[in-house]
Amino acid sequence: MSADVVTLDIRTSSASKGETLFDTLKNLEAMQADLFVVRHSAGGAPFFIADRVTPDIAVINAGDGTHAHPTQALLDLMTIRKHKGDPANLSVAIVGDLKHSRVARSLVHGLRGMGCPDIRAIAPGTLLPTDLEHLGVHTFHQIDDGLSDVDVIVLLRLQKERMSNALLPSEREFFNLYGMTESRLRHAKDNAIVMHPGPINRGVEIANEVADGPQAVILDQVTNGIAIRMAVMAMTLSTQQGSHS
Amino acid sequence: MSLIIRNVQIISPGSPLDGATEIGIDQHTFVDPTALPNATEIDGKAAWLVPGLIDLRINLREPGLEHKGTIASETRAAVAGGVTSVVATPITDPVVDSPADVRLVLERAKESGYCRVFPTAMLTQGGEGNHLSEMAALIDAGCVTLVQGNRPFSSRKIELNALKYAQSLGIRVILDSESRDFAEGCAHAGQIGTGLGLSLNSPLSETLGLAADLELVDATGVNAHFSRITTGTSVARIREAKAKGLQITCDVTLAHLLYSEKALADLNPNFHLERPLRTEDDRLALIAGVADGTIDLIVSDHSPHETGAKLAPFPETERGMSLVEGAIQLLFQLDQKGELGFEQSISAMTVKAAQVANQQELGSVQYGHPADCVLFDPNGSTVFDASHWLSAGTNSPLFGHTFSGRVVGCWINGQRVTT
Repeated sequence: MSADVVTLDIRTSSASKGETLFDTLKNLEAMQADLFVVRHSAGGAPFFIADRVTPDIAVINAGDGTHAHPTQALLDLMTIRKHKGDPANLSVAIVGDLKHSRVARSLVHGLRGMGCPDIRAIAPGTLLPTDLEHLGVHTFHQIDDGLSDVDVIVLLRLQKERMSNALLPSEREFFNLYGMTESRLRHAKDNAIVMHPGPINRGVEIANEVADGPQAVILDQVTNGIAIRMAVMAMTLSTQQGSHS
Repeated sequence: MSLIIRNVQIISPGSPLDGATEIGIDQHTFVDPTALPNATEIDGKAAWLVPGLIDLRINLREPGLEHKGTIASETRAAVAGGVTSVVATPITDPVVDSPADVRLVLERAKESGYCRVFPTAMLTQGGEGNHLSEMAALIDAGCVTLVQGNRPFSSRKIELNALKYAQSLGIRVILDSESRDFAEGCAHAGQIGTGLGLSLNSPLSETLGLAADLELVDATGVNAHFSRITTGTSVARIREAKAKGLQITCDVTLAHLLYSEKALADLNPNFHLERPLRTEDDRLALIAGVADGTIDLIVSDHSPHETGAKLAPFPETERGMSLVEGAIQLLFQLDQKGELGFEQSISAMTVKAAQVANQQELGSVQYGHPADCVLFDPNGSTVFDASHWLSAGTNSPLFGHTFSGRVVGCWINGQRVTT
């Protein structure tokens, strides 16, 4: 999209020298940026920035803590619509570490907004957030039950540190209980699609034959991500410019 | 100097003067107005006259944290909220754990304070939870009680020793029940925190800690006060323990009576507290606990911060809110919402607080008692904005808002205090 990009790497930027996020923000404002694309470890950081930035700078949340990853949800919804049609007629299962997943939270909000009547979470209790039912999600600990007759399966990436926090015994046990294999896939509808926000861990969340099989649409998600992110940037920037006139 | 305040309604739970319409003040004490023929008279204009509030938990930030607040600024804010006595936490820098620290706080309060200041000190040296403080010397120096504060004991064994030792000296202790294993998390583990993806604090952090603390209190017989309970389960546990005959008391913060986890929905960092706001059901259980006497006291847990401490994304901000400045207005708001009667909440910040702070002569409008009182006009209103704000910390949900009720005047030890 021919934008000039300034990337801030926290390890080498002034944040590592004690500069607060507020002052970093003021410095970037002074550099006359049009758009901030923010990824931050603290939930709510993009809102903090959006509340304080001058109104002619657009802010896009590219992932904040375990709170939200809106563009990932949008590209997931686009992929679902393209392959399966209106989410209002679909059953969607999200498998894996929902507790630490901003992708899962945003996808749940997006699916509910699109009227999806059946959103399921499949994971052991240690990887499920508290009170998930309040967000309109049905929880399952047994994957075969949870996958029964679903149209869409969304796998989540498992981080290595979950083992050291005693949330899981091992990657092997996770794969044995929740890994997406061809035999498990048969519990879903015949033409169900398998999605993953990437990068995938083969043999942890997903078996090779599924990752490379006909029902996986993981690479299509990547392609759709480019279109979605271009669209989000174009829309936010045009709104900003519109506000000048 | 003598004074008669007429045309008021005295609200002083438990006092023979509760419901009376006039009061005399001679020198430093309340007296029968008929004994003061030549006194100056004040027309109370039908306002309410209540005992000066006693706040058992306030962070005055001095010594060492003067960039957040000072004894001068925060006691001034307290008086504006109808608070005439404060029990200061020892959570300063360094923490208060020696008689010299206690004397410093008392001297600074004498020099610059606007209200009565009662110091407390840590139960363990440095608040590190390993070695017992010189408890007898701390009480001699002027502490009204010794506290654990927000610093855990290093083990239950050390805690047991601290409680045993305090019990043998007849010292009341204030405990902050919390299980270290679950102490992390900036939001209640519930619907809102989950939706926002914040790090979660399980109610188990409190209930596990409370269960263990109750066992240790039972085993030692120490006189214990449990501070800042936040869950309905804790209210039930305290109720059971009291029914069993344990000599315990407890408090809840104003914030937990007024707000629930829903207040976090727009990530306002003023609602990032040391003890997270919990569910609406918890809030209602806490109110019911005050109403039925299970919860003895209401405290402000006033925690002023400099602006920078809250100028960050929610999880990265420092914890606590500045609240004492609206203490009596907030009690009145609970009454206006029909949730907790003013008499009951006043009782929880006056006569009952006086017992726990071991200041039995305070907290009650009675002849012969020190004349600490507040004239509160329920028909007035209070604007909390930058031009009126007194606390050094603007980290407050009050800031920028107008509340019903107005403090018309405040007397401490017979002297009118102006802020």
